[in-house]
Amino acid sequence: MHHLTKITAYILIIFVAISINFALPRMMPGDPITSLTDDPTTGMPVIMDEDIKEEIRSYYGLDKPISEQYTDYLKDILKCDLGWSIYYNAPVAEVIFERLKWTLLLVGTSTLIYMILGIFLGAVSAWKRGERGDLGLLVSVLSIGSFPSFFLAMLFIILFGVKLDIFPIFGATTPFMEYSSTFDAFKDVLYHLILPASTLVLTSIDGPYLLMRNSMLGVLGEDYIVTARAKGLTEWAILKDHAIKNALLPITTVIAIRMGFMISGAIFVETVFAYPGIGKLLYDAVSFSDYPLLQGAFLIITLIIIAANFIADMTYLYLDPRVKHG
Amino acid sequence: MRGALKSGNVFCKNRIGVTGLGILSVFILTAIFAPFLAPYDPCEMFEPMAPPDSQHVLGTNDIGQDIWSELIYASRISLFIAFTTSIIATFIGTLSGLFSGYYERFGFFVMRVVDLFLALPRLPLIIILAVFMPTSIWNLIIIFVLFGWPITTRIIRSEVLTLRTRPYIDSERMMGAGDLYILGRHILPNIFPLVVVQFVMEARHVILAEAGLSFLGLGDPTSKSWGMMLHYAFEYPTIFISEVWKWWMLPPGLCIVVVILALVFVGFALEEILNPRLRREIV
Repeated sequence: MHHLTKITAYILIIFVAISINFALPRMMPGDPITSLTDDPTTGMPVIMDEDIKEEIRSYYGLDKPISEQYTDYLKDILKCDLGWSIYYNAPVAEVIFERLKWTLLLVGTSTLIYMILGIFLGAVSAWKRGERGDLGLLVSVLSIGSFPSFFLAMLFIILFGVKLDIFPIFGATTPFMEYSSTFDAFKDVLYHLILPASTLVLTSIDGPYLLMRNSMLGVLGEDYIVTARAKGLTEWAILKDHAIKNALLPITTVIAIRMGFMISGAIFVETVFAYPGIGKLLYDAVSFSDYPLLQGAFLIITLIIIAANFIADMTYLYLDPRVKHG
Repeated sequence: MRGALKSGNVFCKNRIGVTGLGILSVFILTAIFAPFLAPYDPCEMFEPMAPPDSQHVLGTNDIGQDIWSELIYASRISLFIAFTTSIIATFIGTLSGLFSGYYERFGFFVMRVVDLFLALPRLPLIIILAVFMPTSIWNLIIIFVLFGWPITTRIIRSEVLTLRTRPYIDSERMMGAGDLYILGRHILPNIFPLVVVQFVMEARHVILAEAGLSFLGLGDPTSKSWGMMLHYAFEYPTIFISEVWKWWMLPPGLCIVVVILALVFVGFALEEILNPRLRREIV
């Protein structure tokens, strides 16, 4: 029963996201024909025959009633047809799927690293609560978390890319490179991944760190920890078998929810490092006013984030049976 | 009242919180007195790309504007957007949270709307709205408020739900107190510290979101914020390989970092006060 309501809710959310994508350009003042015919540099309208205007309208299906436009739009999405990119002069879906693997690589690696690191540091901090180590960690993590990802990315380019010259500063691979082996290709990709991934890791680590720290502080105050200590268990055994396991539960659901946050962060990091993922694509679409591409990228990013939330919800149901009955 | 004083006392003992509040005050004063502090009009043009000297403390940008003056005026835009948004969003969130926690049926509908908003990814939606709406400071504020209130509503509501069942509220009701009286006189003061925390968190979020949008070139070009200064610096071809980043890119970036850090410190201190379990002996 609970599963069913959840699934219905998610289908509803997907519909809302698609509808927003459909409605926004149509709600805005002006007519797409005007923006097509206005010369952007002079702002002077290009004289266009009424017949031609009519032809353009019917080509894009804008002469149909709005309900029919909507069903057409839904049908196109089901067929994976997201329109035609003006800038790349290629189908939007094709352009996006080509870029998707890079974003998934970047976001996936970063998520894995920052979660493990954040949870570990949070546990250490809670364990040393009030001591110098805790305070130092806390202030460092809060400080690094206050950097906007694009600013940290720019600093990394200057420091590691230009001054020290140890990492490449743009792209996901070396251009025009012929790899002698798969290992070489792997090394090149990894080499390009280090700076963008470190930026994402450092700017998002405060989330899991603070959460784990708070969760651990709560658990460490529980009676069963006192009992464990009274039994004569070593500090390490208390930490490993009693504290960390219980403190981890509330963190699990956050992992997937933060995926959305990571993909948003990737928009900035990819832009600064010119990393060819879907975030950079979104930025390009904005700067070139390529609206079909922009809407396509928005739709795909939204769907990925919704999917991540869905997985998080389901995992939590599985991990914490109390939720199911509650 | 005594509770508030006590919280104030605990706050003053919290070094992190006091530091944050101090830094924030400096920035707020700078924003208020910008016309007296800035040596030039931020739109006035001098020789472009001049390195720092006695005339221009931070040099000039690509179209010859004095960067130091630009930086001071930008604090107005960034802080104005952040605080206006937070005030409106926290106000709407608190009111809807109060009523949806107190009236069950009303709460049910409000929470469905809140669920929907929280399930939609915030940043991509903000970007696409900013693209399609004409850019102005007020449109940005509207967009940020639209996505800012739901989280406050949810947090306030869950607190009201537990407060509502307390015996003293029941006895109030038995003595014939009206709903509005109970909400305003007994529930609101109890959730007020939570409202302050939400305000700080929202301000932090908006500073970051506004900087991000402006960095992507979606801000209001007629009123430059720190994020927009970074946008223009990033667009400049030789920003990374020449020395100009030191006076053009670093100052606005550090301003954003320091303001966010100050807000984080204040929020962190407030949370420790609200949750005595986290309160430490040291610090």
